[in-house]
Amino acid sequence: MKTMKKITSLVLAGAMTASLAGGVTAQAADGKKCTIGVAFYQDSGLAVDATKAYLESLSDTLNVSFTYTVLSMTDEAVNLTTVQELISSGVDGIICTMDLGMTSIVSECEAAGVYIGGYLCDYDTSYTSAYEQVFQSDYFVGTAIDGQAPDDVTGGTTFFESLIEYNERAEEPITHVSMTIFPSWAYPSQQTLADQFVAAVEEYNETAETPITVDPLDEETDILQFTTMDSTYFSKHPDAQAIISFAAGTSFVYPTMVQSGVDLKLFTTSFEGGEEENFGSNGTQTFQQNMVTAVESITYPLVLLLNAINGVEFADQPEDAERVSCSQFCINSDEDMEIFQNSIYYTANANDAMFTAEEVLNMTAYANEEATYADLKDILSHMTIEDLQ
Amino acid sequence: MNETTKAPGIFSREFLAKHVYDIAAYAGLIVTFILFLVFSGSRLSYNLGTVLQSAATYSIIALGAVFVYSMGYMDVSVGQQVGVYAILLIMITNKLGGGTFGVVVGFLAILALALVCGAFNGAVAVWLKLPSIVTSLFLMFFFTGAQLLLMESTGTNSISMQATIKPANRSTYNLVLVICIAAVAILVTYFFKYTKLGKYTRGIGANELATAQSGVATTRYKVLAYMAFGVCVAIGTFVMLMRTGSAGKGTGSGYAMDIMICLILGGMPLSGGMKSKVSSALIGTFTYVLLTNDLTTMGVDLNMINFVKAVIFLAIVLVTCRKKDGVLPR
Repeated sequence: MKTMKKITSLVLAGAMTASLAGGVTAQAADGKKCTIGVAFYQDSGLAVDATKAYLESLSDTLNVSFTYTVLSMTDEAVNLTTVQELISSGVDGIICTMDLGMTSIVSECEAAGVYIGGYLCDYDTSYTSAYEQVFQSDYFVGTAIDGQAPDDVTGGTTFFESLIEYNERAEEPITHVSMTIFPSWAYPSQQTLADQFVAAVEEYNETAETPITVDPLDEETDILQFTTMDSTYFSKHPDAQAIISFAAGTSFVYPTMVQSGVDLKLFTTSFEGGEEENFGSNGTQTFQQNMVTAVESITYPLVLLLNAINGVEFADQPEDAERVSCSQFCINSDEDMEIFQNSIYYTANANDAMFTAEEVLNMTAYANEEATYADLKDILSHMTIEDLQ
Repeated sequence: MNETTKAPGIFSREFLAKHVYDIAAYAGLIVTFILFLVFSGSRLSYNLGTVLQSAATYSIIALGAVFVYSMGYMDVSVGQQVGVYAILLIMITNKLGGGTFGVVVGFLAILALALVCGAFNGAVAVWLKLPSIVTSLFLMFFFTGAQLLLMESTGTNSISMQATIKPANRSTYNLVLVICIAAVAILVTYFFKYTKLGKYTRGIGANELATAQSGVATTRYKVLAYMAFGVCVAIGTFVMLMRTGSAGKGTGSGYAMDIMICLILGGMPLSGGMKSKVSSALIGTFTYVLLTNDLTTMGVDLNMINFVKAVIFLAIVLVTCRKKDGVLPR
C-alpha cells in the first residue's frame, strides 16, 4: 500500500511539474498552444521527411506540436476515419494532402470545431463539384497546390524550355520525344501540361532548323495507372530519344527504363532521392530534368490554420478559401542540382529551409499586425531554384 | 445416487471455465470503454459520436456475418461487395435525379444483387464441393474488377451522391445509427436464436455430417445464411454511404479482415458451432473501434496503432483458440 502511495505521489508530482513547464512554455511563445495533424499521402520519402523536419523546426517558436498520419488514395471512409482519429487525439487543425472524401471530412471538422487546410493538392474534385461545402466552409482555410491549378497551368512550357536548354548544351540534341501522364481523374492538369508541351513544340518547329517530333499520347501505355510503366512503351515509341514524364518518373518510369536496358533521357516531375547520381553529366546521364514543389509551401496552410486557431485573420483575406499555385524547383543542370542539394527537400535539415521559425511567426496575423494575405500568397511564387541561390 | 444437478455459481471454477471466452470478450469491451471514458477528456461527446459512426457499418455487416461464421465459413469478398454496392447505389440515385425515389430504387437494386451474390456464394460452394472461401475469392476478384470498371466509366477517383441521406443534425444522425444497429441486431438475434436458420447454421458449424444425417437440408440453410449476410451487407453499405456520401476505387477495401477481427474479438469461434453468438458481433465491433479510439487518444503514434492492434489480435487468437488442430477455419 505504501509503495502504491509513493508511486501515486510521484506520478502526481510529475504531472504538476509537466503542467507547470507547459504553462511556462505557453506563456513564452506567441499564439495559443495547439496541435496540428498532418495527413500525408505516403508514410515515407524525401518530401515527407523534409516536411516533418521543417515543421518540427517551427514547433517551439510557433508553440505548435505536430502529429502525423497517412491517408488512403482510394477509400473515403478510411480518410474520414483517419481525420476523426486526429480530431479524437485532440488536434486543433489539420493539414490534408488528399482530396478524397473532403465533403464529409470538412463537415466533420465543422462539427468538431477543427480547422483544415491543404498541401500539395489542388482539391480539384472538391473545387469543381463541392465548392460550397469545402471552399466556402468557415473551417477550410485553403490549399497550396503541388505546382499549378488545372486552370493556371504553365508547366508544359517549362518542360519545353528544359528540353531546349538541354539541346543547346548537348552534342547530340534530342529531336524525338514521347510523354507519360497520370490519368486525368487523378491529375486533371497533366493532360493540360501535355497539350501545352505539344503546342510549345509545334510553335518552335515553325522556325526551327531541326524540328522536334512529339509522339501523341497512347492510351494503352502512356497513361500510367499508378503502376510502373509497361515495357511495351518502348515498342510504341521506338524512335524516342527522351521521355517527358509529367507523371512521377522516378518511381513509375525509370525502373522500367533500367529493366529494359534502354538509353533514353528522362525529363520528369518529382524527386525521390538517388536521381542525382545519374543526373546531368553524372553517371548514366538519364535524368535531365526534375521538377518538385518546395516543402516550405506548407507554410501557406500552416499560417492560415494558426491564424484561425488564434481567432484572427488577415485584413485582406478573401471570403472563400483559395487554392494557390506554387512555383516549383525546376532542376535543369548540374549547377541547379548542386543548389537543390543544399535545400531542405534534399537534406531534411531545417537549417536549409527557406524560412526560419521567426520568419514564419512573423507571417501570422496574430504575431505581426502588418502581415498580409497577399504577402503569404506571394511566398508560394518564390520557391524556385533561383530563390534558393 | 439421489444427487440433484445444481447450476454452477457465477464465481465457481466450473462456470468460469465454461464461460472464459465470453468473460474475456466482455472484459475487453469494459476495459476499452473505461479507457475511452478516461482518455477522451473534453472530447467525450464528439468521440462517442465518432465511435458510433465508425462502428455502425462494421456492426451491421458483422451481425450478418454471424450466420456465415457460425458455420465455420467466411466470406472474403465482403469489402469489394461493399465497394460495388456503394458505387451502384450512388450511380442509380444520381441517374434518377438524386431524390428519395432514386435512393429507394438504388437500395432495392443493391439488395437484390446482394441476395443473388449470397445465394451464389452458398450454392456454388456446395454444388462444386468447394470450400466456401474459394467461391468468395472468386466473387472478390469479380467485384474488384467491377469496382475498377465502374469507376473508370465515371472518369473520376470518387463519385458523390447527389441525394442527402445523412441527417443534418448530428444527434439525429447518431440516433438513426443506433436505431439501425438495434433493428438489425434484434432481427439477427431472432433468426439466429429462435428459427431453424440459426439452429441449423450452428449445427453445420458443429458437425455438418451429423446435421445432414439428422435430415436437415444443409445446402438450403447454407444458401439462406449467405443471403442473410447479403442483406446485412446491403444495409451496411447504405449506412456507410450515409457517413461518407461518396465512394471510389478503394471503398470497402479491408472490410473482410476488419469484420473477421471484430467477430474474433467478440468471442466468435473461427470454427463456428454451437458456441457462436450474435453478441460476438456487437461486442467485437465496439471493442475494435473503441480500441482504435483509445490508442489514438492515449497518444500512441497513429502509424503504430495498426501494429498494436495486430499484436492484441494475435494474442487473442492464440489464447482463445478452441481447436486443438489449428486456428484457421475450414
